[in-house]
Amino acid sequence: MENFHIDGSTYIPRIDFNAQTGVLELEGESYHEYTTEFFGPIFSWLEDYLEAPGKEITLNFKMSYFNTSSSRRFLEILTMLEDYQNDKEGKVTVNWYYEENDVDMLESGEEYADDVELSFNLLPY
Amino acid sequence: MEHFSVKTFKQQLSARKISLAFQGIFSQDVLALIGKSLRNTPESRVIAKRLFAIVIEMAQNIHHYSAEKQYSEKDGRDIGVGIVAIAEDDDHYIITSGNCIIKTEVPPLIERANYINGLSPDKLKQFYREQRKAPQREGKPGANLGFIDMVRKSGNPIEINIKDYDETRSFFILSVKVNKEL
Repeated sequence: MENFHIDGSTYIPRIDFNAQTGVLELEGESYHEYTTEFFGPIFSWLEDYLEAPGKEITLNFKMSYFNTSSSRRFLEILTMLEDYQNDKEGKVTVNWYYEENDVDMLESGEEYADDVELSFNLLPY
Repeated sequence: MEHFSVKTFKQQLSARKISLAFQGIFSQDVLALIGKSLRNTPESRVIAKRLFAIVIEMAQNIHHYSAEKQYSEKDGRDIGVGIVAIAEDDDHYIITSGNCIIKTEVPPLIERANYINGLSPDKLKQFYREQRKAPQREGKPGANLGFIDMVRKSGNPIEINIKDYDETRSFFILSVKVNKEL
């Protein structure tokens, strides 16, 4: 399966999904006006990727800012991974990086960790 | 007719300590530009990010929901027109947006704002998570989380003011105060 990559810019995150290693990375800022359009291809790739059972997946989430519309899309990604873990014997780890002192980004991570049943590491940098 | 005086306008802006004011189409490029300028706010990084977050939510409300739209060549679609400004007093930044909305949309907006303003911080957090889990609203590109996020990020209630605009539209003014101290 092909890897998936999007170069980051001012309002879209860098996205690097590696099909071989199972390391999925999102980094930067996310406030595209039309997040359903922007995230569409990302969801399609993930759907295909999560077809085969039993993978070990690491999601590295290193965002410095995202708007409320993106926060919905991120929950959708996490829910897909949660379903994968529950229904397809996958093993998923989420590394949630937040800038040290960024209490808001830490709280966001804690809230997602409460919303989905996945192993969450909250990591200051 | 009196001519528009840029000088008077500039004096008014500085008297009210308005550091940012934008009137026009809220395209993606404008958002990015506002974002960059806010990064230079001389406060802590967390406060600067909160200001930025609130301005982005307001700008996106205008982009999607303003009842006054203009066609943007670059974006290839009609985009909302409105105003966003940041002023300050000794203890707060005051972020304000203004845009037209259809008159019938006024009561539900006020009702939602009042409801959100009345929630304790814990309840507010719970409501945010509930609404984020709820399905995307049909035909609405927004997340339905903007007001909640503004109250959470600012720690203050949101204020709404409605002015008459024309037969079918009202002018919707939204203000949020952000404390300068964390």
